[in-house]
Amino acid sequence: MSIIELENITKSYENHVAVDDLSLQVPKGSIYGFIGPNGSGKTTTIRMIMNILYPDKGKILISGKEHTGSRYENIGYLPEERGLYRKMKVKELISFYGELKNMSKPGKETDYWIERFDLVKWAGKKVETLSKGMTQKVQFIITIISRPEIIILDEPFSGLDPVNTEIIREVILDLRNNGATVLFSTHDMAVAEKMCDFIFMIYKGRKVLDGTLENIQKKYGQDTIRIQTEGGIRVLEGVPGIEKTNDFGQTQEVRMSPGTDPQKILSIIMDKTRVTKYEIASPSLNDIFIRIARPEKEQDHE
Amino acid sequence: MNKALIIAKREYRAAVRTKGFIITILLLPLFMGGGLLVFTLFKDKVDTADKKIAVIDYSGQFREDLIASAESFNAATALNEKGQKTSPSYFFEFVDPDINDPESQKLDLSNRVRNKQLHAFVQIGKNVIHPQPDDDQSRIFYYAESSAIDNVRSWFSNIVNTKIREIRIVELGIDNERVKDLFYWVNAEAMGLVNIDTKTGKVSDARRTNELQTILVPYILLLLMFMMLMMSAVPLLTTVMEEKTERIAEVLLGSVTPWEFMTGKIIGSLGVSLTTSAIYVAGALFTLNRMNMSDLIPYDILPWFFVYMILDIIMIGSIMAALGAVCNDSKDAQAMQFPAMLPIILPLFLMMPIILNPLSNMAVGCSLFPLWTPMLMLLRQSTSVTIPLWQPVVGLIGVVLFTVLCVWAGARIFRSAIILQGKRPKFGTLMRYILKG
Repeated sequence: MSIIELENITKSYENHVAVDDLSLQVPKGSIYGFIGPNGSGKTTTIRMIMNILYPDKGKILISGKEHTGSRYENIGYLPEERGLYRKMKVKELISFYGELKNMSKPGKETDYWIERFDLVKWAGKKVETLSKGMTQKVQFIITIISRPEIIILDEPFSGLDPVNTEIIREVILDLRNNGATVLFSTHDMAVAEKMCDFIFMIYKGRKVLDGTLENIQKKYGQDTIRIQTEGGIRVLEGVPGIEKTNDFGQTQEVRMSPGTDPQKILSIIMDKTRVTKYEIASPSLNDIFIRIARPEKEQDHE
Repeated sequence: MNKALIIAKREYRAAVRTKGFIITILLLPLFMGGGLLVFTLFKDKVDTADKKIAVIDYSGQFREDLIASAESFNAATALNEKGQKTSPSYFFEFVDPDINDPESQKLDLSNRVRNKQLHAFVQIGKNVIHPQPDDDQSRIFYYAESSAIDNVRSWFSNIVNTKIREIRIVELGIDNERVKDLFYWVNAEAMGLVNIDTKTGKVSDARRTNELQTILVPYILLLLMFMMLMMSAVPLLTTVMEEKTERIAEVLLGSVTPWEFMTGKIIGSLGVSLTTSAIYVAGALFTLNRMNMSDLIPYDILPWFFVYMILDIIMIGSIMAALGAVCNDSKDAQAMQFPAMLPIILPLFLMMPIILNPLSNMAVGCSLFPLWTPMLMLLRQSTSVTIPLWQPVVGLIGVVLFTVLCVWAGARIFRSAIILQGKRPKFGTLMRYILKG
């Protein structure tokens, strides 16, 4: 069952079409990842789901119902650029947002999250005294304080250090395990690969990918070789059947031309150097993202 | 609406908990009280230094009277019951007129005034008893460093004119007793209009009015209204702009609608104004009652004051919130603030003409313009002149309708602009927001 449904939505700003005839179904209880280059329409789509912007065309259904004019009580929303009242105290601020989510007594839940995010010492301090990392934790708490059914996070891991990323990742998974549906946008393909049940990519306002990682990768086939050699990137130069090479230093990722036999490539390389790892794989999400977004960018530069 | 109240509560607390609010609350009474205190402390601290005045008397008629008046003044007022000097003593130095070179004589005396040897010098013309037009010898000239505001000048003028009158009366041969009757001055006392007492049904006595009631009460009520607008409605422009630029607005919009957001902010500001004005009004009532000046309290106007103030803050607050939502940074806000404040400032310039003539066409017209009605109709109603009842009623209806229009249009602009970044929308775009939403 889909908890969020977008039916052919379109949104334009003056002459620019930000979202173009987009349809989407987010299954209940899933983690749904939004990816796409900057300016592709992710935030506009999220704002339309949140009823902050209205689509010019199309319908948005939440739990099967169309809403207009009012905020959804059961959605927690963390915008990409988020600010807090700097003069308010941390606990007071979290309770305030709890009240706005119709919580009658947000105090107990506030205390729980403050403790879980290790902010007890800062509960009585003003927001302006917090570090950036702590501020981001507070921002995350106010999104989930009411334990909403749907959690929408626009770039939740942006600017976070690995420790805080891990804390927030754990909480997101916990909330999902307790029944919440999580929809988040990210530029971190590794996070999307690891966390998301479904991945959706929007590009120039249109949907270009939608499905599980496995299904998306299947579409591209096993056209990728991950290779580690003593010769490094140099030994891959001029090898027939290699369409594109990505060098990660210790490892190289090679995209094969259609119809190429990977064994032939292996034997050519083995003639040149010692091979320590050779893996035939599907393209990574990062590679798929670049394959979709880069050709247009190159054209744009021309 | 519940969420609007939650936002209003936060706004209210954020405002009243600041030191700025407490300072503002205390400042006005402190200024007023401080002014009274300074007046009380310094009212007896007059300049008690003796004053010597040189007199060039071309008429030769006033020497004895001036000396006698100075002596009696010095004897009567120079010392209080504790033997302390409470006012200056006056002394005269009579200088023979220099007929050959009067200008040099005046220059010498002026230099003596500059050197503090004299307080002033006076030239009395020879024809002052029977003055002729355009004749310098028919006039009295008082020369001093601050002659226009010098109290000695009027004191001196009184003595000389009393003497001139006496001389003229003697010349006319009128009996002294009849002279008293001749000069008995009957003043026209300022009274209000006679009314029927609503409790007893009888005709009540007209109230005695004075300048204080006529000018001070409207003046204070208008300034209080202006202060409340400046304190709560106008700052909405910058607070909304800050919430937009600091990206607080979008976080809030995840939980509340733009309408709830805007109304919450306005209600919060209204709460601040009501608290402040209630404190001031209660303080004023208490003080005036304690000072036995309860006649000055315009009880019939106070309900109007609060009704107008509530509507004005909602009206101006909606406009300011909408403009704040349009701004992208503090420069935008600064550029917009002054033009946005003009409708609030302009009534202050109309204050005196309207107080002096509250029934003029200009006063009626301006007070029926909805943006100004709360300030100017209140001003007219608080003067001692009776305003036809239809005018405040029509004015109030106009204000209510205009407030509804401002809130509606403001909400449409607010909703459209609050999360938009980039270039500030032009007037045409704002109109499109209002008309198309």
